[in-house]
Amino acid sequence: MRIDYKISDKFDFKIFIPVLILTIIGLAAVYSSTLNNPQATDNFERQLLFTLVAYVVFFITYALPTNTFKLISGPSYIFALLLLVVVLIAGKRVSGAKSWLAFGSIGFQPSEFAKIATILLLANFLTRLNNNIDSFKDILISLMIGFIPVGLIMLEPDMGTSFIFISFILIILFWKGISLLGLFVVLSPGFVAIASLFGSVPFIASLVVVLVVLFFFKRDLFFNGSVFAINLAAGFFTDNLYNALSPHQQARIKSFIDPMSDPLGSGYNSIQAMVAIGSGGLFGKGYLQGNQTQLQYIPEQWTDFIYCAIGEEFGFIGAMTVLSLFLIIFIRLLNIASTSKDEFLSIVVIGIFGVYFTHFLINVGMVIGILPIIGVPLPFVSYGGSSMLLNMFMLGIVLNIFRTRKNYA
Amino acid sequence: MNAVNFASVSRKTILYSIIILVFAIFSVRLFQMQIVNHEIYDEKSAGNSIKPIEQIPLRGVFYDRNMNVLVDNIPAYTLRITPADYDTSLNKILDKVLGVNPGYVASILKRNQIYSRFIPIRIRRGIDFQIVSWLEENSEFLPGVDYIVEMQRGYPFGVMGSHLFGYTKEISSQQLEKEKDYYRPGDYVGHNGIEKQYEKDLRGEKGFHYVLVDSRRREIGRYKDGAKDKESIKGRDLILSIDGDVQKVAEEEFKGRRGAVVAIEPSTGEILALVSAPEYDLNQFSYITTKDFLQELYSDPDKPLFNRATMSLKPPGSTFKILAAIAALDLGIIDVNTTIYCGGGFTFGRFFKCHGSHGSVNVIHAIEKSCNTFFYNLIYKIGLERWKEYAIKFGFNRKTGIDIGEEAAGFIPDESYYKKLYGENWPRSIMASLGIGQGEVSVTPLQLAKYAALIANDGKSFSPHIVKGYLDNRAGEIVPFHFDEIDLKIKKEVFDVVKQGMFLVVQGSGTATHLRNPEYHISGKTGTAQNPHGKDHAFFIGFAPSENPKIAVAVVVENVGFGGTYAAPIAKKMMDAYLLKDKLKNQKQKDQQPIIAGARVED
Repeated sequence: MRIDYKISDKFDFKIFIPVLILTIIGLAAVYSSTLNNPQATDNFERQLLFTLVAYVVFFITYALPTNTFKLISGPSYIFALLLLVVVLIAGKRVSGAKSWLAFGSIGFQPSEFAKIATILLLANFLTRLNNNIDSFKDILISLMIGFIPVGLIMLEPDMGTSFIFISFILIILFWKGISLLGLFVVLSPGFVAIASLFGSVPFIASLVVVLVVLFFFKRDLFFNGSVFAINLAAGFFTDNLYNALSPHQQARIKSFIDPMSDPLGSGYNSIQAMVAIGSGGLFGKGYLQGNQTQLQYIPEQWTDFIYCAIGEEFGFIGAMTVLSLFLIIFIRLLNIASTSKDEFLSIVVIGIFGVYFTHFLINVGMVIGILPIIGVPLPFVSYGGSSMLLNMFMLGIVLNIFRTRKNYA
Repeated sequence: MNAVNFASVSRKTILYSIIILVFAIFSVRLFQMQIVNHEIYDEKSAGNSIKPIEQIPLRGVFYDRNMNVLVDNIPAYTLRITPADYDTSLNKILDKVLGVNPGYVASILKRNQIYSRFIPIRIRRGIDFQIVSWLEENSEFLPGVDYIVEMQRGYPFGVMGSHLFGYTKEISSQQLEKEKDYYRPGDYVGHNGIEKQYEKDLRGEKGFHYVLVDSRRREIGRYKDGAKDKESIKGRDLILSIDGDVQKVAEEEFKGRRGAVVAIEPSTGEILALVSAPEYDLNQFSYITTKDFLQELYSDPDKPLFNRATMSLKPPGSTFKILAAIAALDLGIIDVNTTIYCGGGFTFGRFFKCHGSHGSVNVIHAIEKSCNTFFYNLIYKIGLERWKEYAIKFGFNRKTGIDIGEEAAGFIPDESYYKKLYGENWPRSIMASLGIGQGEVSVTPLQLAKYAALIANDGKSFSPHIVKGYLDNRAGEIVPFHFDEIDLKIKKEVFDVVKQGMFLVVQGSGTATHLRNPEYHISGKTGTAQNPHGKDHAFFIGFAPSENPKIAVAVVVENVGFGGTYAAPIAKKMMDAYLLKDKLKNQKQKDQQPIIAGARVED
């Protein structure tokens, strides 16, 4: 029945081609947005080099024996934690966050590497469980694997990356089969924490909601009591955390709660980004013709706001093309994850999906003004060596798993 | 409950749904932004990056009636600071270089803090060329400091005209609030005088050059190579009715004195000269005015900022006798043959003194001799209400409507006024003084000049004004402004009679015979108003040539004494300057010729 008659059976073009197109669009957009900026004159050349290196890494990863990933999961996780500690001590501070390790002129973000390391170890741990994760202990261990790097990253502090971690950890747990109650236990503190940001009335209301839900799960008093205590702690902890945040991060949270509170400060980027995209119209202003992009209305547009350049210069058509390419990639990843019979590999693919999807969601959502300004890059498109390298590395893992999917059937 | 949930179909479906939902929300949002609301964003984007740069047009200049330039635009250097690039530690150095009080630069920067840091702020106008060269030499150590060449008012003709011209000054926040359609902070607008009254003519129309700017508002090129630019339109050049020569003579005569003079061409109402003394130097207002200078002007006991020509109110003294004479003649109360006996005074309740014993005098000689007794009697014959009617006819008790801002209306009393003051049985003796222009009557020099012009031209003239029209530069012709015509509808015979009297004041044996000259005849009337605070105020009204008046003058000199002695000679000099213009010029040329010839040889 199975005949190796095509290269497409070993290499998933349905995911590779969209990524290839995205990296090309990304290079074009980086060129356009750095063209008139004296501080970023060689960024295009650098990005071109990063992309080429990333593709080499991709093909090497693709060709590795598939069981490598399980083998390296433990060591790479420990190595990642080590790097995250080193960066806190010896890292370079860029725009308020200590997230860079500098090697000469080349910088590296350990948090990028920590993503895949965390995915691998979490997948490894969860695969050992034969059944759904329902026990308090299992959830706790899973969360610990996930949240140790999150804690270190929050210390940098890099909120955006922390969000990405929380998001893909939840997606992995969900995929593994966490029960509704388990999901509730994991999610409710976050819910309460966010509610507490809006003031004491929403905070108390959210606690009431938690109590009502707990009542319906009909667990014992001890269980209910501990979950409620965690929620309560989360609410108060958020307040402390908020005060510990740097002023520009506080301002960002404030401007999300009330976007017009500071239109010239933290609201500025959001407004200018929307103006750039909205003014693009159906067909865009033409490549290298977008005045918002070319006149540098958005600071460092080539990183987190690269989607503006595309929306402005290529219009609705261009913006929708990028969306559609991501849609294809996501659906394809989901399919690979669900067709893979090996639980570890399936969880790894879903974790990678989680990383890509959350990046996409937060980045595009913020640029088109429906999510707060949280600085995360758009995968394959934004300028940045570390993220390009790690994204292509993860894609290599996915296509590697696709190549050998029948061996694990 | 214990079924294996891992990668179950339902969980896959949930993730699918989330992906599709996010894709749908993003697509709708993009559609809404890029298709539905595209124009709103497009406009914002255009407004973002295209900056209109105002092109301030050249302000219109002032010509006098002989097309000599009175007020001009001259280039001047203005020091500016762009706060975004500027280092405030330079404040002290700049204060020193500019020669201003320590803290001056800092205070101006502070005042402009509310505006964009990328827009240059004018720190000081009219800086010396030495400062400019210092700036050039040290430019690399002065980030954010530069200078531009701007136009400012210049007064090349040697006419001060401080109360006439007014000055230009940075717009006040109150005025800006009222007229924000046209003006922007930092714009210069006319203050006082013609500059204020004719602001809309003088300012022209701003133009706009559209430039592309980056997010820091730095210019990086022209928008569409200037295709959308709108060029500014130069302000209108005004032609004043002022005669530079007459104005200059008047200003010179008033140096060191307090008072005012207004000269009018009787047939047109055109003002030939208007001086209020002391004056102040308008050049000082061309710069960013220093506080010291303003303080000095405000605290000066002589009140140089006060326009005496249109604002100062004084009883006009004997110059007002003509008014009573005209009223009595026009009403038929007296004729040229009616005589009144003057035995050195007049008794009505008390004794009113005359300055002599004139015997039986008719109206002509009463004017010639300025006989008080005649006019004490006359006012009772006319009656207070009818006398006031004539005063109002001549424009007293109300503003003349002159085309330079502030003006006082003056005051002419009537019965109701005295009733209010003293009750129903007010002492009628009060009226006597009014006949000779003393007491509760108060007039401005401008009103007196208008009165003199109306007498000179037999009751017909135009509303007094300073601007004749403007020069249409394209057509090369003068476009006149229109002013109200005045016709008092008083018989010419009445004027003939009073003019005989005024003729004799100079040409007969009156109070100003020293004005007599071989060139032309002058008619006039002197006046001396008692002043409780010091020496009398000297008045003179008059016109010349008597036979065909070309110039009417009213002079008021404060606190000097007798009108004939102090006021009349000033009028005479102005009349000379106007009527003997060519002759005086020839004279001057003759005097200067040898020098000019000498200079030519050297060339």
